[in-house]
Amino acid sequence: MCGIAAILYKTGESTRSQAVGLQLREMLYSMRHRGVDSTGVNIAGQHFGTDYVVRVVVSEDQGASHVIEGVRNAVAALGGSIVFINDFGRFRRIGLNYSGDLGKLSDSILSVKGAEIHSIGRSSEVIKDVGDAYELDKKHHFSKVNGTHGLGHVRLATESQVDITHSHPFWAYPFPDITVVHNGQLTNYHKLKREFQQRGFRFQTHNDSEVIAVYIADKLSRRRKLGDALEESLDDLDGTFTYVVSTDSGIGMAKDRWSAKPFVILETDEIVGVASEEVALRRIFPDDVRRVEPQEHEVLTWNVSLAPRIKVRLN
Amino acid sequence: MTKRLAGNVPKALSAPVSQGYSIDARKLTTRLLNASIKSGVSKGRHITILNPDARHNLAVGIVKRCSLSFAGSVGYYCCAFCDGISATIEGNSGWGLGDNLMSGSIVIREDAGASVGASMRGGQILVWGNAGARAGISMKGGTLVIAGNSGFLTGFMMQRGRIIVMGGVGDAAGDSMYEGIVYVGGEIGSLGVDAKTESATRSEEVELRAFLKALKFRDDILPRRFRKIVSAKRLYQYDSLEPLERERLVI
Repeated sequence: MCGIAAILYKTGESTRSQAVGLQLREMLYSMRHRGVDSTGVNIAGQHFGTDYVVRVVVSEDQGASHVIEGVRNAVAALGGSIVFINDFGRFRRIGLNYSGDLGKLSDSILSVKGAEIHSIGRSSEVIKDVGDAYELDKKHHFSKVNGTHGLGHVRLATESQVDITHSHPFWAYPFPDITVVHNGQLTNYHKLKREFQQRGFRFQTHNDSEVIAVYIADKLSRRRKLGDALEESLDDLDGTFTYVVSTDSGIGMAKDRWSAKPFVILETDEIVGVASEEVALRRIFPDDVRRVEPQEHEVLTWNVSLAPRIKVRLN
Repeated sequence: MTKRLAGNVPKALSAPVSQGYSIDARKLTTRLLNASIKSGVSKGRHITILNPDARHNLAVGIVKRCSLSFAGSVGYYCCAFCDGISATIEGNSGWGLGDNLMSGSIVIREDAGASVGASMRGGQILVWGNAGARAGISMKGGTLVIAGNSGFLTGFMMQRGRIIVMGGVGDAAGDSMYEGIVYVGGEIGSLGVDAKTESATRSEEVELRAFLKALKFRDDILPRRFRKIVSAKRLYQYDSLEPLERERLVI
């Protein structure tokens, strides 16, 4: 089944420290009946103080310190430098300065045995683990993470196995800040994946949803607008889907031609919330905000307004 | 998880209000809430459910004549498998509102999600807002009235009964329907497989208008005329025999 949710504050810069993490936790927890195999979020619009934050999960077999040493060397070999490493069990949140090609950096980190990348972002990071939203928060404290927008997912596995690697959101290798959550099944993802692989893209999982992330990121990197990329995906992706994409500046949604998966939107002048079910949104919005239900073959996007830029003090 | 409920249910009910009971849904699990509704129903009083918070499976399986109202939005399968219920929902609903309704009436003040009135066999559902995709899917009787627009695949695989849409319908309207009628006041996006349109006869128009007036629709908001979507019966393969029974019949 799976459930997806996203939230976006429209005047992002002036209200940078919105409790996006906390609100995603509440939304996802209220949809736990749609799946508790894993839960994950991407919280965007953060200020890291470094060029990138890389979210890495390390394999237990290899020994964490050994793997991290390998990552450190890999980054250093490309002229980058690691500024901080936060420790969350098997997960590491690595802040680093690096000015080169992101593809090279990702390949170099992935070449370290036992290291797997969950996300690389300039202003966003993916936090995902098995279990429900409160279990995720207990381990990763994401409810304290603020930002301008974010998305999340609760998973009932259908297309691939239940583990951390195959949980959502999926980051689009090797593009910073582009992530996807998806509810549904794609039937032509093998074909799309093969096409991308022939063009040199690298996939970390066997999951159908990862292909959507790369598909959208590839279009955006070729200067397509998010709305156009989503629109084109309606014909290129086959199967049932409703998915949400998060970029550094906004979110977008696309719904398949069968209208097979549920999706509702609640929107005010300041904030927009989207989710598989209204039950998630009523945790945040008062009763008088009118619900909108997108229909089949529909695409919508929302942007964080960057106009009222206010200097934010960093911790 | 939840223990089977026996005698302690009425305690979950709040203080009686003038027209009947009110129940605060936030204080109860869904199972306890449904048990409380049933318990109140058997006392024959009106029940108001406060703070339904778009939760799922509320007021399911009630087979008594009763009167309910929900002071907010409800989730999936609200009032499913009910017989004789009279319910009002002040907000929106999720998927499958009034699934398999046998008799009674459900009124929803705002929008209904997908599959409203799925497999309903009797009674009446009135949606004051819009309906999502597949409204009246597999309907087997009764009347579904939608005051706004209805989405994709309206009346999908409908077998009996009628759907009255005052606004327009989306694409693939009446797809694979067997029997029954979809009346449409507005635009038809496109017709589904083996569906055709006819204009409503004069006596049908008169009957429809009288029916809608009885539901308190003002004359001036009624559509000027209705078109109806019915099965073209080119692909009609419909009988009530099970495959095994049919085999025996041939032998």
